[in-house]
Amino acid sequence: MMDLGGLLGSLADAGVEMILVGGAAATAHGAARLTQDIDIVYERSPDNLQRLVSALSSHHPYPRGAPPGLPFGFDVQTLRNGGNFTLQTDLGAIDLLAEITGGGGYHDLLPSTLVLNAFGRAVRCLALPKLIEVKRAAGRPKDFEAIAELEVLLEESQR
Amino acid sequence: MGAGQPTFMVHTVPMWRDPVIEVYKQHVDRTLLRENLRLTVEERFRKLMDLQRFAEELQRAGREARRRGRTT
Repeated sequence: MMDLGGLLGSLADAGVEMILVGGAAATAHGAARLTQDIDIVYERSPDNLQRLVSALSSHHPYPRGAPPGLPFGFDVQTLRNGGNFTLQTDLGAIDLLAEITGGGGYHDLLPSTLVLNAFGRAVRCLALPKLIEVKRAAGRPKDFEAIAELEVLLEESQR
Repeated sequence: MGAGQPTFMVHTVPMWRDPVIEVYKQHVDRTLLRENLRLTVEERFRKLMDLQRFAEELQRAGREARRRGRTT
């Protein structure tokens, strides 16, 4: 079960600098497709890595799909040593992304974002045109329907 | 991706009409999207969570039905 409000609230309350991307960002823009996780691009400074650890540690993050009992420690060192993490938490699945295809990292994406208000918090989200751009750049056939929906949303929102 | 001339501009980013995506767009249910666009962002997130709960309940029911099928 995903608790979007809980996840986004924990991240926002800890002051994590991040950008909501992927399916949840598409939902924020009005997409009707079902998504099972939250994808965020996070800023990679040591302070922000610490904030990310503070935000998620109490929700028991663990590599999604991995067998139980792995010596996985969710700490700054782990984040520093990796880039992208697909995690399951008590509040739902979350993908932490250092960068995304066609978009780059946090600072590259920042000019193409907007701040939304949800669950009493400000949530930075990838803007719809950029969301379409990165989906196109990924070039995955499985995204064709999603891209079509996002382009229709763009047309509808400009009507 | 895509080819041809830019047909509209958004935030200075030229959006290209990809013929493959144009075919997919013909099958998008615009009524659902228009309904969503009338909601706030939070309402859209809450609707997503409701859909996820619904999907999980259906998956649970399916698993239960398959288990019953094996035991009867």
